[in-house]
Amino acid sequence: MTASPTLRTRASTGIQVVDDRLHGGFPRPATLLLFSEKPTDKRIFAENFAIQGLRAGERTLCVDFYRTPSLARNDLLRFGKYPEDRLIFVDALSSSLLVETREKYAIADLDTLGEIERAIVDAIDAEQPDRIVIDSMEFLTDRFAKAAVMETWRRIVEACRAAGSVACLLFLNWTYFERDLEAIRTMSDFVIEFQSSMRGGIVRNSMRLSEIAEGGLSTNWIPYAFKDLVGVTVYFPRILVIGPYHAGKSTIVQSLAERAISVERMGTTVAFDYGNVNLSGIEAELFGTPGQERFEFIFKIFAREVSGILLVVDATRPEDFPRAKHMLELVGPRIPYVVLGNKSDLPGALDPDVIARKLELPEGTPVLATVATDGRGLKEGLRVLSEMIIGVR
Amino acid sequence: MDPTRFPADYSVLLSGPPGVGKFEFIVSQLREAKRAGERTVFVTLDLPPREIRARANNLGVDLEPIEGRTFVFVDCYSATSAERLETASEKRVYTVSSFSNLEGIGMALSKASQELGTPVRIFFYTVSSLYLHNSAAAIAKFFQIVTGRVKANMGFILYAVQDGVHDPMTMNLLRSLVDGVVEMRFTDSLDREYRLHHMRGFRADPSWRPFVEMPGPAGGLP
Repeated sequence: MTASPTLRTRASTGIQVVDDRLHGGFPRPATLLLFSEKPTDKRIFAENFAIQGLRAGERTLCVDFYRTPSLARNDLLRFGKYPEDRLIFVDALSSSLLVETREKYAIADLDTLGEIERAIVDAIDAEQPDRIVIDSMEFLTDRFAKAAVMETWRRIVEACRAAGSVACLLFLNWTYFERDLEAIRTMSDFVIEFQSSMRGGIVRNSMRLSEIAEGGLSTNWIPYAFKDLVGVTVYFPRILVIGPYHAGKSTIVQSLAERAISVERMGTTVAFDYGNVNLSGIEAELFGTPGQERFEFIFKIFAREVSGILLVVDATRPEDFPRAKHMLELVGPRIPYVVLGNKSDLPGALDPDVIARKLELPEGTPVLATVATDGRGLKEGLRVLSEMIIGVR
Repeated sequence: MDPTRFPADYSVLLSGPPGVGKFEFIVSQLREAKRAGERTVFVTLDLPPREIRARANNLGVDLEPIEGRTFVFVDCYSATSAERLETASEKRVYTVSSFSNLEGIGMALSKASQELGTPVRIFFYTVSSLYLHNSAAAIAKFFQIVTGRVKANMGFILYAVQDGVHDPMTMNLLRSLVDGVVEMRFTDSLDREYRLHHMRGFRADPSWRPFVEMPGPAGGLP
């Protein structure tokens, strides 16, 4: 067994906006509670976390009460190739399926809580893994007496800590009450809550991270998606690009997007621009709306499910600013927005602070100088907006 | 109401003793949905998909032409049985690793509905198998959440449940969490009967009627 080269570095999630705020990832040791009250896609986050570790040269220990190790290994291939030799399983199912285990560690009797605990703790003690995933704790809470489960939970957390590991404990709460949950939270360093809902026939996932320690990190709901061979990314299903006529909205969408389409007539957008953006772990669907008043009905169509807004103004045309302000109001309050002072390379372009003053923006509203035609400032604008949406700015 | 056609956003519990024809009832529903061009999902906890295809075929309903198009399986059976998992080269099947994985079942329903497009009609066969592996309290919450999600975002769901294997409290709880209950039974001469026990929002006739052999003109229901 070789010592891991990575013990002193943090445990990255692979989701850059989150890692940035965690100064590179979770500290070691740390216990993460992956929690939900309803069925969600949190397993995909845990798998992503395991894969990130494996690819960074870390050793990961998995306990899966629902899948045989071979099935779980196979499922991980959705992320693409990964170094399989660093992935260690505590086989929870072979004994109940009455087959011989091929793993180094196995739970001999799934009907005995003490046996489950012993197998898991022994494996952690012996392997001292960098990351641990236990999927999932409701298997225990649903089968054994609460007091005993809470003791087991505590000892597993202690073993993870003693090993210096970052541990993901998945937990869907079917039956526990708030005071039990409070005790479980206090055994954790971070709680990541998950939600899954269906809107317009499409499953939307989001998560929210909070550090238990006072004054620690806490985020807004972060929408995320999974892509085969890529993994988990932050995913904004709708970011509106709005602004007065001829401010450069279409150019911005086309410049940021890998793929873009525009419905336009004689050089101006008459329906909308659409672009799919992939930028350092963030995927976003940009929708550019037409600037002219006669197309305002389009706002109503797009206003639902908006994550954030890029408000584009022509920095040389302050006479259009009232119109820009009006458009912002049309979309509605409380949606994060960033102002892009476009055409900032042209003579007479106003500085961001002047634009902020003339638009009478609230204190702290980000205004960036951009040049849509050569892409200057655009990625930065989207990054700032992402951080505002996620609540880490 | 027409006993063969349930509303598009509705939840139904189908109860009856083993062998009374719950599976046939569901197949008749699949046939009607197929005729109407509706999308359907079969959640199986008791049988592998190949056996369901074969048994439906014996009842005169060929699922082959619609599978992967307007019909998909959520297979909660094969992964924990000796059954070989249907591989990716075959029809799209949503596999759930184990029927103790309630979260996985819930998400597979959402994903199957997303793939087919909504509204869908979901047939869950059977709830009783859940009780072999999960606590009654967890199942009750699962049942409530899934039924709510289906009705709000996906469409219709029918749960089959074995009569005579659960305690009366459990049955009453399940009955209270759905819009309607269809009961099936054997008569003294082992003929089969069904009735609409109650149907929220409809005036349902609760009298027992004969359940005839499939295939019948309206899928087993006269």
